[in-house]
Amino acid sequence: MRKYFSACRKELLLLIRDKSGLAMLFIMPVVLIVISSLMQEFGWSSLTKDPTVQVLFVDNDHDSLSLKIKSGFRESQSFEVIDRLNNNLLTDSTAKNAVKRGEYLVAIVVPKGATSTMRANVRLSVAKTLAGFGIGNPGLVNGIVFKDSVDVKIYFDPTVKKTFKNALISSIRENYYKFQTDWVFKTFNQEIALQMPMYKAPKDAFKEILHFKEEYPSYREVELIPNTSQHNVPAWTIFAMFFIVIPLTQSMIQEREGGSLFRLLTMPVSYMTLLMGKVGVYLVVCMMQTAAMLLAGILLLPLFGLPMLVLGNDILALFVMSMVVSMAAVGYGLMIGTIAKTHQQAAAFGSISVIILAAVGGLWVPIYLMAPFMRTIANLSPLNWAITGYYSIFLRGGNLIVIVPQAIKLLLFFLTTVSITALYYKYKSPLNN
Amino acid sequence: MSRKPIIEIRELTKIYTGAEEPAVNSISLEIFPGEIFGLLGPNGAGKTTTISILCGLFPATSGNVTIDGLDSQTDMVKIKQVIGVVPQDIALYPTLSGRENLTFFGNMYGLHGSALRDKIDHYLTEFGLEKHAGKAVGKYSGGMKRRVNLIAGLLHDPKIIFLDEPTVGIDVQSRVVILEYLMEINKKGVTIIYTSHYMEEAEQLCSRVAIIDRGNIIALGNPKELVAEQPRFQNLENVFIHLTGKDMRD
Repeated sequence: MRKYFSACRKELLLLIRDKSGLAMLFIMPVVLIVISSLMQEFGWSSLTKDPTVQVLFVDNDHDSLSLKIKSGFRESQSFEVIDRLNNNLLTDSTAKNAVKRGEYLVAIVVPKGATSTMRANVRLSVAKTLAGFGIGNPGLVNGIVFKDSVDVKIYFDPTVKKTFKNALISSIRENYYKFQTDWVFKTFNQEIALQMPMYKAPKDAFKEILHFKEEYPSYREVELIPNTSQHNVPAWTIFAMFFIVIPLTQSMIQEREGGSLFRLLTMPVSYMTLLMGKVGVYLVVCMMQTAAMLLAGILLLPLFGLPMLVLGNDILALFVMSMVVSMAAVGYGLMIGTIAKTHQQAAAFGSISVIILAAVGGLWVPIYLMAPFMRTIANLSPLNWAITGYYSIFLRGGNLIVIVPQAIKLLLFFLTTVSITALYYKYKSPLNN
Repeated sequence: MSRKPIIEIRELTKIYTGAEEPAVNSISLEIFPGEIFGLLGPNGAGKTTTISILCGLFPATSGNVTIDGLDSQTDMVKIKQVIGVVPQDIALYPTLSGRENLTFFGNMYGLHGSALRDKIDHYLTEFGLEKHAGKAVGKYSGGMKRRVNLIAGLLHDPKIIFLDEPTVGIDVQSRVVILEYLMEINKKGVTIIYTSHYMEEAEQLCSRVAIIDRGNIIALGNPKELVAEQPRFQNLENVFIHLTGKDMRD
C-alpha cells in the first residue's frame, strides 16, 4: 500500500509542476463552458428575445397581408424588419444582391397582389360553401375557378442554418394563416349578412382555443426549467473529463520514453500498482475538474448574463455519476497510454477519438435529431451514457436509482479498459518490446 | 572469489516477434560474486536484451537464468530485491528534485522513513550533490544527472548491480567519481555487471569480460588474458575490433 501511495504522490508532484497541463485541465474547460454557453444563449436569444436578426422586407403588395407579416415580425421581437437601404425602398433585386454579398442573412419579397389574390380566393371559397346551402347563385359560383397562388420569395444567405430557416418560414406561415382565418370569418359574416338581412354578426366570431403550455415532467416536486446552462455545463464537463486522456497518456509515454518505466519495471513493484497510482491521482483531478466546472456554472455563468446552473436534488447521485464518468475517462486514458507507442499517436488518437465519441454520443447534436442508424451507434458511446446520466440529474431531477443503468455501463467500461491494459501488459511488454 | 556463481545463464535465447535472427542465441555464462563483469559488444549485439532478461523486463524465448540461487522464471519478485539497475538513459523525472526522485525510487524498493532519508543524505553527500538535492533534476548538468541515476540503483544496497553505459556523455570528474565509487562498493562484495563502449574503461575496471556479437559470446575471460591471447594487439579495443570487425552497426 505504501508503494501505491508513493506512486500517487509522485504523480501528484508531476502534475502540480506541469503548469500548462494544469491550465489545460482546469482553465480551458471553464473557458469552453462560458464561451459555448454564451454562443448558444445568444443564438437562442436571436430567435426569442433580442431583435438581432435583420430581415430585409420588400413590400410589393402594399396591402393588408404584407402589413400583417411585417407587423407579425415586429411583434415577435425576434427580427428587425428593414425595408429601406440607403434611404431607398428595397426592391427585389437590391434585396437579393444584399443577401448575395453576405450583408444580410435573409430577404423576403411579398409579391404585388398577394392580398387581393388571397381575398378573392377566400371570397370564392365562402361563396362556394354558402352555395352548398342554397345561398347565393350556386350555378354561377361553381363555375368560377380559384386564382393561382402567389409566391412569397425568401432569399437566404448560404450560411444560414436549417433551424433558423424553419423558424423564419414558420413565423411567416403563422401570420399568414392568422390573417387568412380572420379574413374567412369576416367574409362569411359579410356574405351571410348580405343574403340574410336579419343576420346579426356575433361580436366574438372566433376565439383561438389552442394554447401551448410548456411543462417539463421531473422527478422533483419543483419543476426544473431547462436552459443553456443546464444543457451546456454537463456536456462540456464530460468532454473535458475525457480530455484527461491527453495529460494521462503524456505522463505514461514520458515515463516510458524517459527510461523511468524501464527502471521501475526492474524494481519489486507491480506495473498495476504504478498504473493504479496514476488512476488514483487522475480520478481526483477529474472530480476536481467536475467541481470547478459546476462552480463555473453556478458562479461564473450568471456574471455573463447566463442562467445559473441548478444542481439536481440528489448530490449523492451527482457524486456517483461524476465518479463513474471519471473512472471511465481515466480507464480510457490508461488504455490508450499503454497501447500508443509515441506521444503523437496518443495525442492524435486520444483527442480525435474523444471528439468522435462526443459527437456520436450526442454531446453536440442531440440524439433525437440523429438518423436512426446513428442513434444506435450513439448508445455505444460512453459519453452518451454520461450525458444521459447527468441530464437525468440536472434536467429531470433524478436520484441515484434513476442513474443506475448509466453508472453500471460506465463502471463496466472502466473495468474493460483496465482489463485490456492489464492483458496488453501481460502479452506485450509496456516497453513495447 | 566464491566458486558458486551468483548469476548462471544456461542456453539463453531471445527471438523477438517477427525477427528472423535471434537477438540472443543460446548463450551460457557464469558470473561470480564480487566480480566486475563487462558485457561488451557493438550496437545491436544483444547486450541490452541479455540485461533486460536478467532484470525481468521480458521473458526469454528459451533457456534458464538463476540469480543469487533464485530461478528467474519463478522468483523474479525476490530477484528484483537483490538487484539494482542503472539504465543508460537518465531514468529520472526531470520536474522532480533529486531528493524527490530518490525518495520515490527508494519507496519502490520498500524503503521509507528515516532509514531512507539517511541513505539519500549519505549518497547525495558521497556524490557531491547535497547542495542540489532540492533542485529539479531537469536543471542538473549531465554529470549530476548521471550521479543521481546511479544513486537510484544503489539505495537498497543490492548484491548485484547492472550498469548500462554508466559513464556515457559525462565530464571526466563525474566519470572518475562514479568509477571510484563502483570499485569501492565492489570491494565490499557487490557484483557489478557492466556494459560499455569504452574499452579502456572496461579493461581497467572489469575482472572478466564477455564480448558479444550477433547474439553470440565470441570471447570470454580476463581482459588482460584476452589481449595476451592475441599477440598482434596491444589493448582490448584492438582485440574487440579484430573480433567484431569494422563494419558499422545499426
